[in-house]
Amino acid sequence: MLRILLVSILVMNLLAVNSSQAYQSNVNDSKNEDNSKPLRIAVASNFTPVLKVLLEDFTKQTGIKSQVISGASGAMFLQIKYGAPFDVFLSADSRRPKELEQAGYTLKSSRKTYATGQLAFYSSSLSSNANSLSQLSIEEILSIDQLRKPSARFAIANPDTAPYGKAAKEALTHLGLWQAYESRLVKGINIGQTFTKLRSKAVTRGIVANSQLVLNNLSGVIIPSSYHQAIEQQLVIIRRSKQQAAAEKLSHFLLSIESQNRIVSYGYAQTKQVNNANNANNANKKLSELTAK
Amino acid sequence: MINSDLQALVTTLEMAALTTLILLIIGTPLAWYLAKMTSRFKVIIEAVVALPLVLPPTVLGFYLLIAFSPEYLPGQLWQQTTGQQLAFSFSAIVIGSVLYSLPFVVQPLQKAFEQLGDSLLEAGALLGAGPIDRFFSIVLPLTKASFITAASLGFAHTVGEFGVILMIGGNIPGETRVLSIALFDHVEAFDYARAHLLAISLLIGSMVLLAAIYWLNLPKRNNNKNLNQVRSIK
Repeated sequence: MLRILLVSILVMNLLAVNSSQAYQSNVNDSKNEDNSKPLRIAVASNFTPVLKVLLEDFTKQTGIKSQVISGASGAMFLQIKYGAPFDVFLSADSRRPKELEQAGYTLKSSRKTYATGQLAFYSSSLSSNANSLSQLSIEEILSIDQLRKPSARFAIANPDTAPYGKAAKEALTHLGLWQAYESRLVKGINIGQTFTKLRSKAVTRGIVANSQLVLNNLSGVIIPSSYHQAIEQQLVIIRRSKQQAAAEKLSHFLLSIESQNRIVSYGYAQTKQVNNANNANNANKKLSELTAK
Repeated sequence: MINSDLQALVTTLEMAALTTLILLIIGTPLAWYLAKMTSRFKVIIEAVVALPLVLPPTVLGFYLLIAFSPEYLPGQLWQQTTGQQLAFSFSAIVIGSVLYSLPFVVQPLQKAFEQLGDSLLEAGALLGAGPIDRFFSIVLPLTKASFITAASLGFAHTVGEFGVILMIGGNIPGETRVLSIALFDHVEAFDYARAHLLAISLLIGSMVLLAAIYWLNLPKRNNNKNLNQVRSIK
């Protein structure tokens, strides 16, 4: 009998927990409909650290609070399709924003290139004598590396799925080294994982994003942007978002000349789009207009 | 900044506790049914229960994401009854965890129920105990150890879950960002110091929890009681 009593107390506790849970989520929901809800930014993990720095200024300038959700572009792309409550999506590529745009998930003409990726060769064994490296071109460095350590593992992101991987393949092909390197490649699912392999020294050399090296105070050898197609990282504003005005402010903020310069200082390439100069100017004007309001 | 980790910890504990409770409530009758089942369809149900062990979490997560979205029936039904979207909510990660951790609760219980034998239950019935009384005064005391194992495995597995929650939760702070995802975020953001801190606290916390559960579950602590129980009924 005592046991039955105990069990019934337990069950009652359960119900209490459940109902308080339900109550809590109701409270959360009413909060969510409020205008003070933060702007939810889904961002490709390679840009997250830079975005966080930039957001400090953005919040100071506009008073808009934001929540950063960092992840893989591919997963977030799917999540947006299936109703994720994101307001802005900063992808690591241009393909997924384009697809979202074509499928009607984004705000019209909100797709913009906010950063352009830059590749760099990194080797943990070479970085100690970086001075002698700077004398050599990337062609010479890679050729020497191939001659000296033809079997050492070499990390790049997966060329079939990751934009930085595709560009790395294009650069190696441009240098005529793809065939020599192909058999020694280790492919990360994205540039983040590729960098982790190098950082942990599981692999000693590879091609990663220059921004990753800058953020970690490492030095590598920049691979000229002319060796591959531009790695355009684009953003879109989600059509379902209830905070489109705030999202547009963020977009203008990121495209402003100041922000673009700061993005470049973190190891990204200058965004060279036909309409980019106009974009940045307009963005600056719009931002000052918007903040004046 | 540490606050966001604490928030993730709270979300994780809430999710794991609720998941374990739901699993015990659903898993017990299911395990009982499977243990006593003689139909040849038993193997099929058993296979379905074990599926989450085989399916990669991201695959399970992907299909759950589709199912939970407002465009498909389960997600629609949920939205109609509760007025909220299921995908990317706390409820979604609890439901996902229940499915994902199901075998970890059902299998130990099923094995325990199978080994129980019918004689004690029949004796109980002869003495006039109803099915519910028989469950609580015969089955539960004799299989207590398996219940503790099932609950701790379910809880631990849910705390360590990553792929499913990342997919259907969307990593939203305070709602669906759990410790495993917060840890992953720190690594991705090159914040190795915080990642190490979180990893070591997760490790120590889990160690203490599991050790405590296994201590509770020591054969010495339970055997005598169980034997007495059996003797007193005999």
